[in-house]
Amino acid sequence: MSCNVPQTKTSVLHRMDPRFRLVGLFVLIFAYSFVSDFRLLGAMLIFTLMLFFISGLPARFIVQKLKLPSLIILVLVLILPFVSGQNTLLDLGFISLKQEGLHASGVIAARFLCIITTVMIVLHTAPLLTHVQAMRAMGLPWIMADMALLTGRYLEVLGCDLGRMQTAMRLRGLNASRPGLYMLRTRAWLCGSLLVRGLERADWVYRAMRLRGYGQNRTATLQFRATALDMAVLSAALLAAGTVMGLEIWFGL
Amino acid sequence: MHIPDGILPLPLTLGGYAACAAAVFFCLHRIKKRPEPAADIPKAALLTSAFFVASLIHIPVPPASVHLMLSGLLGVLLGFFAIPAILIGLFFQAVMFGHGGLTTLGINGVIIGFPAMAAHYIFRFGTRGKHGPKPTATFAFLAGALAIMLSVLLFALLLVTAVPADMGAAVEKTAMLVIIAAHVPLALVEGVITAMTATFLLRVSPRVLHGV
Amino acid sequence: MNVESSSVLEAEDVSFAYPGNGGTLHDINLSIYSGEKVGIIGPNGAGKTTFFLLACGILRPVSGGVRLFQKPVTGREFNPQAALVFQRPDDQLFCPTVYEDVAFGPQNMGLDAKEVDRRTWEALKGVDAASLAERPVHHLSEGEKKMVSIATALAMHPGLIIYDEPSAALDIRTRRRLINLMPGSAETIIVASHDLELILEVCTRVILMDQGRIITQGDPAVIMGDADLMQAHGQEKPHSLIPHYYQHQH
Repeated sequence: MSCNVPQTKTSVLHRMDPRFRLVGLFVLIFAYSFVSDFRLLGAMLIFTLMLFFISGLPARFIVQKLKLPSLIILVLVLILPFVSGQNTLLDLGFISLKQEGLHASGVIAARFLCIITTVMIVLHTAPLLTHVQAMRAMGLPWIMADMALLTGRYLEVLGCDLGRMQTAMRLRGLNASRPGLYMLRTRAWLCGSLLVRGLERADWVYRAMRLRGYGQNRTATLQFRATALDMAVLSAALLAAGTVMGLEIWFGL
Repeated sequence: MHIPDGILPLPLTLGGYAACAAAVFFCLHRIKKRPEPAADIPKAALLTSAFFVASLIHIPVPPASVHLMLSGLLGVLLGFFAIPAILIGLFFQAVMFGHGGLTTLGINGVIIGFPAMAAHYIFRFGTRGKHGPKPTATFAFLAGALAIMLSVLLFALLLVTAVPADMGAAVEKTAMLVIIAAHVPLALVEGVITAMTATFLLRVSPRVLHGV
Repeated sequence: MNVESSSVLEAEDVSFAYPGNGGTLHDINLSIYSGEKVGIIGPNGAGKTTFFLLACGILRPVSGGVRLFQKPVTGREFNPQAALVFQRPDDQLFCPTVYEDVAFGPQNMGLDAKEVDRRTWEALKGVDAASLAERPVHHLSEGEKKMVSIATALAMHPGLIIYDEPSAALDIRTRRRLINLMPGSAETIIVASHDLELILEVCTRVILMDQGRIITQGDPAVIMGDADLMQAHGQEKPHSLIPHYYQHQH
């Protein structure tokens, strides 16, 4: 459950101001979600591949990240061609392959791949909590920013707590335990224990924060400094997004 | 119950963000009215972490196993912090595991967050004046199960009607019924787990049950 | 020595009870002066940690009062003059990276960015943790986390540092680093510990607490050398104070 960033050579994406990186990312992925013309989807896929090469992230890392989410979308993509549309491409007897359904599957698959790959590439060029700090610098309410930073900080700690409790349970026969309500109750106790530990730890964390002045003044946010490179890369992203959306509208007319 | 990126049209995803932003604005407004809002942030954050980790606990449902959402319990314990907590959890899930999506963050926040708030009110009003294990278990079960069913309803409605393909009314209706029916066992399990966890908290640490 | 002007911490008839608890502290009267290195010993539940939280204003006494640097402790102000190093570093370190955690206190003191940076690096170098600055906190070992916890206190340049069980869960090497670091870390230090050898090495005065009361206080070797007294209050005479009939073979 780590927010680990893979060690890799530093690319232009790594060097960007996180605020500009985030704005560029959101503009791009929303533009991608607007597209359904296959020519533009093809261009999007090429652009995403270029982004991947620029980032210098290991291919294995990206493939690993795409595995689980791809499985989920695969189900939808496989079903749609058989349940939606009017024009039959192939009649298999009890089911038939439909043109509109196939088109919809292709659109969803391409969009999904482009969006999720772009997200993984861009957000894994810096620690996750740096992005939260960038959002805070861009106006995310302090309550949400502070919550997010603390949540991220303690994920691994509580994850380790859970691991230790599960080991202890296993050593006392958890896997061999009776199924049904007994098993559910054991899981419920595990869950309850995590919540109690979380809250008790929160008391101490708040004390530590107060002892170092939290709540007196708004703590200074991390200082970000944009450069000409950030402006240039963001402009390129905005241009790409604008072009893709403009062409989508024009092709649709 | 998380809708991935790439399926929903742009107006819907932007609408989801707008609805969530409005909900967050309302929740933060209520939180800021407290005498010491900063004091509750570590509690809310650590509970959010705990819920995130707890959702990784496997529940064997032969032949497979499921992960719980615990959105009902989250709503019960976090109250007005629930929607911010859910958005934070969804953001981390999207970035760390690719589960859900970033364009669909708002919509997923609506699907899970609004029923979580409903669960909060179901539990609080149901147990008002009654503090024993029976009412706690009963209303926790209802909160947990109904939160899931409401989420499933929203999820099914959005997925089926907004997919970029025309399925025909009959197919859409069937698809929705299949999705809803498939999640009934999950809703029952969530209800039971929520009830059992609430009674555990009542015995071990009632102040956790009082919420943030 | 002008006793009143060099007083760092004074507790007068302080009593405290957690809700639903009979009583955690009873009539604590205590004075700690500038330059002292004071050890507090006692069994679990004696009230040491509770006293520290009262001293720093996190908890409010049920009766009596606490003064820190001659000012009453109200709990409403941030007082960077007194720093508390918690027993569990995971409770103390809450920022994403080591640098940010150490900088947190100076930032809240209203110092400018340059001074915050200077103090942060100074504190990190002081505990030999400068190389850890950009690391996420949860990637550190227990010993590293403990050192960083101390750095978070040092960065505020406090006049008083309170250490709550500082050597718990530390390996020998880190424990030695800690013992070497503590005396010079602030003008005045208070250390609560079950590590009696550490108390003997570091402290010039020791206070024995049990069941929420101060039993006695004085010279560490004298107090801790009284085997009957120590045993009566859940302690043991430290090994180094036990006369050896057979010399250790080196």
